[in-house]
Amino acid sequence: MVRVMGSDLRIALVASSGGHLSQLLKLSDAWQGRDVFYVVTTDVVKKKLGADKRVYVAGECNRQHPLRVVRSFWRCFEAIRRERPAVVLSTGAAIGCLCCFIGRLFGAKVVWVDSITNVEHMSLSGRMVRHIANLCIVQWPDLAQVYPGAEYMGNII
Amino acid sequence: MIFLTVGTQFPFDRLVKTVDDLVAGGVIEEEVFSQVGDDAYEPRSFKSVASLDKKAFDECIHNASAIISHAGMGTITMALDTGKPLLVMPRRKRYGEVVNDHQVAIAHKFEQLGHLLVAYEPEELADKVKLLKGFKPSPRLVRPEAVVKRIAEFLDGLPAGSAS
Repeated sequence: MVRVMGSDLRIALVASSGGHLSQLLKLSDAWQGRDVFYVVTTDVVKKKLGADKRVYVAGECNRQHPLRVVRSFWRCFEAIRRERPAVVLSTGAAIGCLCCFIGRLFGAKVVWVDSITNVEHMSLSGRMVRHIANLCIVQWPDLAQVYPGAEYMGNII
Repeated sequence: MIFLTVGTQFPFDRLVKTVDDLVAGGVIEEEVFSQVGDDAYEPRSFKSVASLDKKAFDECIHNASAIISHAGMGTITMALDTGKPLLVMPRRKRYGEVVNDHQVAIAHKFEQLGHLLVAYEPEELADKVKLLKGFKPSPRLVRPEAVVKRIAEFLDGLPAGSAS
């Protein structure tokens, strides 16, 4: 089979608002020209990404708000089910974790980039996702020593 | 103008109240404008809004002489990218302001690197605010290219058009 590079490899890009999104966007060159869609937490972020992008809004959630997690789970599930990405790539946080596991159920490859704010440990999401990740990147050299399979290659932010 | 921002995810009343007291008490004399999030404490001494769109937010950062914020990476990055002096107070798990104490860790790390000033507790804010105007943040040098390259290589290695 001849491998066609580029556009038909669909990628889900998932990030919560704030630093997670800033870090995701700093990596944009990695998927330049590919078929991507976004899963984000708020309509504000959706607007910020621009009308030309395919964006799903999953709502804010974290583990202190279990009902919001349920709501976000279903929204993430719907987005992944509809789009069937070949890759789910996330910089966190909770919605990234959800989409990685859901993506995995649908056979997607998983790329996790742990946020720079996790200095002493990987994030809770990262510690769960790393077991199913095909590529797991951390931003502090010490963390790459602690977590087998995690790779460090510098800071993105 | 000092721009006070706590992100839009959850309120951070502990910080907003403290700054409010400092303005009311005359410790901060400069005009303050703030983005405080939904259902948040409303300051009596300066103007505040729940949230700003991207353009308005960027304008506030641009027009600010200094920034006071939570230790969120979004705001920290914007302050470093624009070279604005930044004073952060980390959100704490024990007050239910965040799910873990990562903001304390990143504030401490970036303080050591000279990127920003930190008030770990509200009581430290008055003293740190006085240092803010004269604070020159050390620029942050990063190499996202290495991570970009690694991810691009990973994607190139996948067969196109398959979801398994």
